[in-house]
Amino acid sequence: MIKVDATVKNETRYIAYFCLILSVLMQSVFIFLQKWTYAVLLGNLLSIAVAILNFFVMGITVQKAVTLEVNDAKKLMRSSQNLRKAGMFVAVVIGVVAPFFNTIAVIVPLFFPRIAVSFRPLIKDKKEVIDK
Amino acid sequence: MEIAISIILGCCAVGAGLAMIAGIGPGIGEGNAVAKACEAIGRQPECKGDVTTTMLMGCAIAETTGLYALVITILLLFVTPNMFINILINTLG
Repeated sequence: MIKVDATVKNETRYIAYFCLILSVLMQSVFIFLQKWTYAVLLGNLLSIAVAILNFFVMGITVQKAVTLEVNDAKKLMRSSQNLRKAGMFVAVVIGVVAPFFNTIAVIVPLFFPRIAVSFRPLIKDKKEVIDK
Repeated sequence: MEIAISIILGCCAVGAGLAMIAGIGPGIGEGNAVAKACEAIGRQPECKGDVTTTMLMGCAIAETTGLYALVITILLLFVTPNMFINILINTLG
C-alpha cells in the first residue's frame, strides 16, 4: 500500500472541491437552458470522477517519480501518462456512446481541473494575504 | 452513396489518428518536468513539498493539451461520422 503524500492529498482535495463547484454551475446552466435530464447528471458524475481520479493518480506518480533517478522518473511519467490517457479514452468513449450519458456533460468536466489550476494562484495569494 | 460514406468514415479515422499525435507532447513534457524536479529536490531536499505542488499543477496544465486531442479524436470517431452521413443523406435524398 502506497502512503499518499500530504501535498498530493491537499491538491486533490482542492481540485475535487473546485470540480464540484463547477459541476453545480454546469448543472445550473443546463437547468437554465431547460435541457437538464438525468443523462446530464450521470455524464457529469462519470466525468468528474474520471478527472479527479486522473489527477490523483498523476499525483501519486509524481510523488513516486521524485524519489527516483532522473531517467527512471522520465520513463515512469511517460508510461503513467499513456496509461492514464488510455483509461480516460475508455471512460469517455463509454460516456459518448452509451445513451444514458449526455455527451456535452461528459466532455466539459474533463477540463475542470485545468480551470481549477488557473484559479490556484489567486486563491493562494489571497490566503497568504489573510495569513499576513 | 456507399463510396461517399466510406470516404467520410475514412477521413474521420485519419483525422482522429492525426489528432492523437498531439498526445505525444504531454508525455515528453511531463517527463522532462519531473526530471528537472528530481534534480531540484536532489539539490535542495527541504523544498520537496513546494516543488511537488508546483509540478503537480504544471503537469495538470500539460495534461490538458493531450486532453484536447483526446476529445477531438473521440468526437471525430463517434459523433462526426453520423452527423456528416445524415447531412449527406438529407442532401442527396
